[in-house]
Amino acid sequence: MAAIIKKELRTYFTTLTGYAFLGFFVLITGYFFVSQNIAGASMDYSETLIGTMIMFLILVPVLTMRLFAEEARQKTDQLLYTSPLRVTDIVVGKFIAASLLFLIGLAITMIFPFILSKYGELNVKGTVGVVTGYFLMGCCLISVGLFISVLTDNQIVAAAGTFAALFLLLMMDNIAANAPITRLSSAVFVAVLILAVLIVLYSGTKSIAGTLVSGVLCYLLLFAAYMLFPALFDSTITRLLGWLSVLNRFQNFYLGVFGLSDVVYYVTFAAAFLYLTVSVIEKRRWS
Amino acid sequence: MIEVKNLTKVYGHHRAVDNISFTVNDGEILGFLGPNGAGKTTTMNMMTGFISATEGTVTINGYDILDDTINARKQLGYLPDVPPVYGEMRVDEYLDFVCDIKKVKKSERAAMLDDITSTVGISNVRKRIVKNLSKGYRQRVGLAQALVGYPSVLILDEPTVGLDPGQIIEMRRVIKELGKRHTILLSSHILSEVGAVCDRVMIINNGKIVASDTTHNLEEGAAENIQLVKIKGDINAASQALKAVEGVVSVQESACDEEGCSQLRINTGSEDIRADIVKALVSAGIDIVMLKPAALSLEDAFLKVINGEYDMPEAWDNDADGGEELEQVSDGDERHTDEEESGAEQSVSSDAESEEE
Repeated sequence: MAAIIKKELRTYFTTLTGYAFLGFFVLITGYFFVSQNIAGASMDYSETLIGTMIMFLILVPVLTMRLFAEEARQKTDQLLYTSPLRVTDIVVGKFIAASLLFLIGLAITMIFPFILSKYGELNVKGTVGVVTGYFLMGCCLISVGLFISVLTDNQIVAAAGTFAALFLLLMMDNIAANAPITRLSSAVFVAVLILAVLIVLYSGTKSIAGTLVSGVLCYLLLFAAYMLFPALFDSTITRLLGWLSVLNRFQNFYLGVFGLSDVVYYVTFAAAFLYLTVSVIEKRRWS
Repeated sequence: MIEVKNLTKVYGHHRAVDNISFTVNDGEILGFLGPNGAGKTTTMNMMTGFISATEGTVTINGYDILDDTINARKQLGYLPDVPPVYGEMRVDEYLDFVCDIKKVKKSERAAMLDDITSTVGISNVRKRIVKNLSKGYRQRVGLAQALVGYPSVLILDEPTVGLDPGQIIEMRRVIKELGKRHTILLSSHILSEVGAVCDRVMIINNGKIVASDTTHNLEEGAAENIQLVKIKGDINAASQALKAVEGVVSVQESACDEEGCSQLRINTGSEDIRADIVKALVSAGIDIVMLKPAALSLEDAFLKVINGEYDMPEAWDNDADGGEELEQVSDGDERHTDEEESGAEQSVSSDAESEEE
């Protein structure tokens, strides 16, 4: 794994991607620092961080688009997957390398709260909490980008796909707020979700009988639940999307709550996408 | 040692590799020969664990490539059809990275890389960036990558593609040299290359092994025993005289490129009756301008095998596991030859003529 981390970091800094990322990251953070904290005369550094969220849309694809797409294009994946490295090591190594670069950027911008602390009373605990949350959220978005990069051998496609996926993720609160809240629409939403899971199940197992049986079971359960406990379906969509939302979790850090559940959520989120990435690679070899 | 048993790869309805079995013994260089799209690269990708087999197993020095994949890969150096090099790295950085992933000890690296780079002839470009290298050099860097860690088994997919003639000869010398220390499986669609480098050749077509033999035997097997004789004089009289010679199986007229001469192809069976042929022609009053064996090259052997006209020699040395399936092929070939003997000879004669031109 160390070999992969070393190589990816080296590549970031030989292809200028690393410098571009760091430069852009510090520049944007600096801009928001000036506008939110200095011009706004505020001691709350989290306002700067909230402002910079939008740049994830651009910067995460910059970090992740190359990771697997370029290996596939250059056919160097043949070297990696026939070497004595486990696929998990390769995927986690690349994830750590990208996260490390993000962490380096974050470390440089720590100069801003330091400046703040010289001119007033900085809430150190709160700032550490919100920066940690910010870092964890960034890692989650990186795991999404990594996953999308493995799906294609074209960096541009990977970048555009990551942009779209992150856009949806960051918009999720907004979508949740505007989602229909009637019980019937919630039931339909759950039905569609079940259908999606069934399709994934079928493509994984290729077993029509198994898929049909589990499908019938799921829909019977759904129907029974809808009939017996209709209260379950009150604004399900909003609750589900809100629970899934990456930004929503960040709100807790922003409000100064350092909850274990939020940390677990972020770690699980990133782990799930890393697992998906490993599965895609393994599946490709076994198909 | 590499053992491949009943290896099969199915893509949808297409059987890219169809139930092939073979063994590469320690210290052997096995040539893997076949036209484009025959299944060579697919087989190699399965052997290195890059893709999985639909059926069958591959064992590298006793480790199964799928069940015991990490140990198996430690035994393995692989040069894929496209050298897996990172364009943005320097050659040294790249080889260092390969050392990292193959877990070569830091203390052994410098000496190993010096040795490998001088073996494949890239010592002078070690500081250069890979993407600026020519295709031939990139290919060599790819080979150097396969050698890192001195794996006991090397799998090389068309290692001389993209090299200039001088480099090809050099690369063959390198591979022959490596064959003293490594077990090598080498694929190619260039026959002379296999002939020059390999101890044994396996020919694959449409995903099946259609022949497996030593290079020497394949050439012998293809040549049959055809003598070409160029004469001045009455061709019918010559034909008559030759048919009377004991041991002559058949006589055919073939096109002659020289003014005033005719050429005959004589199938002489297994006996050496060249002296008798000469005597018979001389006593019939016919002038002999040339007598030579219709030497068929590996090229012809290849074409004959691909076209299904090759008689599998009985003594071909494959392991018992592959025997059944290969016997089937051999049976099919015999039937084919019996039915279309004349057709087959026609094609051989046209081959020989084109060779002479």
